[in-house]
Amino acid sequence: MSLSRDKSGTRQATTLVSRANETANALEVRGLSKIYDSTAGRVVALDNINFTVKKGEFVSIVGPSGSGKSTLLNMVGALDRPTVGQVLINGIDIFALNDSQIATMRNSLIGFIFQSFNLINRTTVLKNVKLPGTISGMSVSEANERAMKILDALGIGDKASQKPINLSGGQQQRVAIARALVNNPAIILADEPTGNLDTKTGDDVFDMLKMLSRKFNRTIIMVTHNPELAESTDRSILIRDGGIEKDVIN
Amino acid sequence: MNPSDIFSLAYDALVDRKVRTILTVLMVVLGASLVVVINGLSEGQSAFLQQQLNSLASNVITATSGSHSYYGGASSQSSLILNDVIVNKLRSLPYVTQVVPMYSGSVTINSYGNVQRVSIVGMDPTKLTVELPNLQFVDGSNLSPSDRSAAVVGDTIANPPGATTPFVTVGQTLKITYSYTDSSGKSQQESRNFLVSAIMTPSGNPRIDNSLIINLDAANQILHKSNRYDSLLIQTQDDTYVNTVQQEITDIYGKNIGLNTPQAFIQVRQQTAQGNAMFVEMIGLIALVVGAVGIVTTLYNSVTERIREIGTMKAIGAQNAAILALFLVEAAMIGVIGASLGLATGIVGGYAMTSFPSHQAGGPGGFGPGGGSISSFPPIFLPLDLIRVWLLSVGLAVAAGIFPAWKASKLSPMVALRRE
Repeated sequence: MSLSRDKSGTRQATTLVSRANETANALEVRGLSKIYDSTAGRVVALDNINFTVKKGEFVSIVGPSGSGKSTLLNMVGALDRPTVGQVLINGIDIFALNDSQIATMRNSLIGFIFQSFNLINRTTVLKNVKLPGTISGMSVSEANERAMKILDALGIGDKASQKPINLSGGQQQRVAIARALVNNPAIILADEPTGNLDTKTGDDVFDMLKMLSRKFNRTIIMVTHNPELAESTDRSILIRDGGIEKDVIN
Repeated sequence: MNPSDIFSLAYDALVDRKVRTILTVLMVVLGASLVVVINGLSEGQSAFLQQQLNSLASNVITATSGSHSYYGGASSQSSLILNDVIVNKLRSLPYVTQVVPMYSGSVTINSYGNVQRVSIVGMDPTKLTVELPNLQFVDGSNLSPSDRSAAVVGDTIANPPGATTPFVTVGQTLKITYSYTDSSGKSQQESRNFLVSAIMTPSGNPRIDNSLIINLDAANQILHKSNRYDSLLIQTQDDTYVNTVQQEITDIYGKNIGLNTPQAFIQVRQQTAQGNAMFVEMIGLIALVVGAVGIVTTLYNSVTERIREIGTMKAIGAQNAAILALFLVEAAMIGVIGASLGLATGIVGGYAMTSFPSHQAGGPGGFGPGGGSISSFPPIFLPLDLIRVWLLSVGLAVAAGIFPAWKASKLSPMVALRRE
């Protein structure tokens, strides 16, 4: 399987991707394990994880600190490679790809939302939001149009020319959400998206993710410590000691 | 990513760290401008020496007492006294067409209360063209070889640089004062008035332009030379006989006589100038390398500071090549701005350095080709040299950016995102 780009830089999915788009599952995790060997000994961070996420599903991953939930998210986001196992996004086995193809896949199939927003503060909100489009080789006008549309939908269209550092935490996280949406990804991975926000703002951001799932049928996988937020998602996967302890439909 | 996007991101990153960027650019500017100035002055000096060589007759040998020459070295103890016996002997040699004896020294001249210290040469002024075939004089000039009170004045003396009025004009009286120490060790002064009979037009030779020519006998008397000439101009039939005559004289007098030709002098000057230029150009190159190290430091710091940004960009799909290009473009921008400003600064600096008036230095004996200080000739900036310096500066800047850019491109997104 491969992902490639044509000369103009626009995304060109392979036949496998086209076929994958027809599958019902946005994400499949099969026998995923991650083992770290160090001088201190062997650490099993993830142990034979198996689950699937349907298209449009909003799944929360919960668990105590050190349980392996962030490691799992890193694997699903192809930021790290597993020791064994497969991750299929839209039917594509992402670890069968080389590094360059993985980067292309991350750009086109995954939207990331980080706890600390990870925005580029020296440049404008608009440039931040359209960055995934810029990386994918989207034309400037198309990237601008898409970014503005999403910013307007998230209620921060008037902040487009401002720098992220001048916005509140909640607004910055909305910018990060907008950035995650700009390339219309197959799944959105959110790592503690409300972790750096106060309760009210955190609830607003969560409501926004929920709205994206309900209204726009987005597939969202969110890591959280907050059991109340987890219960408000479609489904919660409880991770403990690197394994799935519970998989509950809410 | 499109190249324009990479340029835009790189530009934003440089502007975000204005002070550091400016200081790094400044390092490149200093290195590039130094190399440009040195090249310009070196080319200028080379052209200046060539101009002097062209103004001098190629069939003349300058003889001085002793073995000292333009190559250095002092007179030997058994040095020859240059007198009429020697002159007549040299005149009798084959291929020698004439021998012009000369006295030389240094005097103070006074014109209407204005004073200058100048070189003085005692010789038959009509023989000036033996060494400087193209020499010309201002209107009204009249060479009077037998007039013991006549003086021929060089252009720089008559029209000092920066002066609004001439120091002397044709027909004016000039007071010449010669200071010397007598046999009892006492300081003595002797003054005489001379009539300016002729003024030379600029000869292209700073030494002759800064000299005063008087009658041979008058010089013998005022300079207390006791019929001992300081130098002799030996003219050969043409330049093909110069080496033959030179060898013949050496065979007769050995190391007791110093022999020089304008070509030999210019050659030594050129070699010295080239040596100096190479040395200073090395300093310029070192400055450029220091600038490159500055770029490495700046970009490496930038990579460290922007590690989360790099991690984010990679997480959202930026290829390693795009990150590599981003940092290389930053380095190239520093190089392009620094090199361009360096070229401009170097050119302006080169002209500024040569705009100050200076005194000339020269070789021993006779007029010889003038030495010329750094500011006595305009710099010459050859387009090819400028392009070479520009490319070198930009190339070094880009090369300096390779390691930090490579480091950034190889960062694991997960590791980069975890870094605080």
